[in-house]
Amino acid sequence: MSQWLEQVIARGEQANLTGPRLQALTALKQQRWPTRKSEAWRYTSVTPVEQLELSTESAAPASPTKIAGLDSLDLVFIDGVLQQQLNTLSLPEGLTIQALTTLNTEEHSATALFAQIKPAHHLFGLVNDVLAEQGLIINVAPGADITLPVRIINLSSQGKESHVRVVVRLGEQARLCVIEQGEGQDPCLHTYFAEYQIGAQAHLEHYRLALHTGKALQVGGNHFRLLEKAQLSSTLVAFGSDLSRLDVDIEHAGEHAKAKFNAIYLLGTGETFDLHSCIEHAVPNGTTEENARGIVGDRAKAVFNGRIHIHRHAQKTLAELNNRNLLLSRRGQINTKPELEIYADDVKCAHGATVAEIEEKALYYLLSRGISRSQALIMLNFGFIQELINEIPNAPLANWLHDKLRHKFSQMEVK
Amino acid sequence: MLKIHNLHAKVEDKTILKGLSLEIKPGEVHAIMGPNGAGKSTLGYVLSGRDGYEVIDGQVELGGKDLLELETEERAREGLFLAFQYPVEIPGVSNMEFMKESVNAMREARGEEPLSAAEFLKKAKEACKQVHLPLDFLKRGVNEGFSGGEKKRNEIMQMILLEPKLCILDESDSGLDIDALQVVADGVNSQRSPERSFIVVTHYQRLLDYIKPDFVHILADGKIVKSGDASLALEVEKEGYAWLGGKAQEADA
Ligand SMILES: Nc1ncnc2c1ncn2[C@@H]1O[C@H](COP(=O)(O)OP(=O)(O)O)[C@@H](O)[C@H]1O
Ligand SMILES: [Mg+2]
Repeated sequence: MSQWLEQVIARGEQANLTGPRLQALTALKQQRWPTRKSEAWRYTSVTPVEQLELSTESAAPASPTKIAGLDSLDLVFIDGVLQQQLNTLSLPEGLTIQALTTLNTEEHSATALFAQIKPAHHLFGLVNDVLAEQGLIINVAPGADITLPVRIINLSSQGKESHVRVVVRLGEQARLCVIEQGEGQDPCLHTYFAEYQIGAQAHLEHYRLALHTGKALQVGGNHFRLLEKAQLSSTLVAFGSDLSRLDVDIEHAGEHAKAKFNAIYLLGTGETFDLHSCIEHAVPNGTTEENARGIVGDRAKAVFNGRIHIHRHAQKTLAELNNRNLLLSRRGQINTKPELEIYADDVKCAHGATVAEIEEKALYYLLSRGISRSQALIMLNFGFIQELINEIPNAPLANWLHDKLRHKFSQMEVK
Repeated sequence: MLKIHNLHAKVEDKTILKGLSLEIKPGEVHAIMGPNGAGKSTLGYVLSGRDGYEVIDGQVELGGKDLLELETEERAREGLFLAFQYPVEIPGVSNMEFMKESVNAMREARGEEPLSAAEFLKKAKEACKQVHLPLDFLKRGVNEGFSGGEKKRNEIMQMILLEPKLCILDESDSGLDIDALQVVADGVNSQRSPERSFIVVTHYQRLLDYIKPDFVHILADGKIVKSGDASLALEVEKEGYAWLGGKAQEADA
């Protein structure tokens, strides 16, 4: 048992937890601190979490990045503390947002979902269950079409630990766009877990921008449950840091649901990013399309574990998962592992994982137009993830991400 | 402009060009015809310096410079342009970015300032119109999802923007209907000038009704086997390549 985990448990004991949070504390006591032998943490070390030095000094004021042309409802957490008064916000009709602190006191249909969609086996998910004091409970009324994107911003500053939790419920035929954006670069620890129930025929457009980098440690998850004919379109954009880890779970709980999940990761020198995704097809006629693409820089490390689990009754499932990686240096490292578990016989399932190389034909084409070799390689390498940026439906966000990724990429060396 | 002397080249240990010689003066248009597999595309690749196409003998000069000493991108900056028979699709790179980079690479080589985004856009739009491609093609990935004809017109658009000295068009007519052929031919004709030369590689005489060549050469089995004026193309059209003898005929089959 690690000191760090013991200290989390001790804090949980003092907090007089009830309900699902108490259950999480009990489960956490059964957990072992991950080592290289733990399947879920085989390639990524949690040691940085233990070594993190916290500071009691107050942090320099931070302000969230503006995304040009994006009109959004911004909810800002700095080091885990919400900066707005929720009751002063004017919200579109059909959208309600409550603070997580009301979890134990107020009855709300969404509060009942806390820790119900996120699987209990994620260690840091349990930590977040126990420690998250702040967060949001978002509810979209049936049939409500919320066109204003909700942007949840988490900023982490030096020496701070923060735990934020979000639970979102979309009623039948509701529509919502959520952008989750995390940033920080100084030594800190941030956990952020979000659970989504997408009601029958509802539609969620979701973005997770996991932009913690440098010495900032972030561990989090996005967990989606899709009811009948629900649609999810989720885009993850991640940088790497000393420790950056995300678990994404997509559960097809109702038939004829459609999930599309694109992940882009761009890892600079020495950075680590670890993505575990798990798609559960529990019912027939579901569709999942997952595309993960990464560019891995010098001495950087990408871990991708993509699991698709098609249950026995989940006939007529269509599931496609593809992971492609581009190594910019021999000293970069990629661990990609598909995990297919198919128990139904009438399904279409494709799974591919590759370490890509720049095509000679494409390089030759650019060279033949006078473009220098180094510039051509930059364009082609970046083009590899640009393809997924092009699929982002929100244009201002796509432009902003393009510039941000391009800027980071231009500072990376092709070796 | 271009002097090719006794060029021998191989691909993967197979010798394809077997002593090809050709001289082109400024402002001239030379057509190269010949059966499938004769080595027409190979000639373009060798001249542009594609990896894997190895020159084993001979010399090539472009504007007095030893072309074979140069890298692919340097050859392009010296004014060599190859319109590909099969242009490649590059989904992640937009046409706009691709062409802006290449136009500015050429400008830099000439010691000119790079074009600003706005200046480039203006030029690109004009070129786009000239080859009858919708403007949204500029935003799309390079050749991504373009039809065969659109790809060929995109090549011509690049030629217009890059203002090369020597243009090699590799079957820019194949697979085109008569309207698209007209667009390609108009694009080429608009670029003809006393300083600019063309090699028009084609399988059919048809294109040469629109782009009038000064000379026509027959390339067979890696060599120029016959040269003449425009009437040679009509002869080929009538008689095929049978007169070339067994080997070339086989390649044509
Ligand atoms: N990469 C390659 N490897 C081996 N043979 C090749 C390659 N490229 C072309 N060839 C061969 O070279 C010959 C000439 O091809 P090509 O130049 O494409 O002919 P053309 O354009 O005249 O139809 C053909 O026999 C073809 O099969
Ligand atoms: Mg050819």
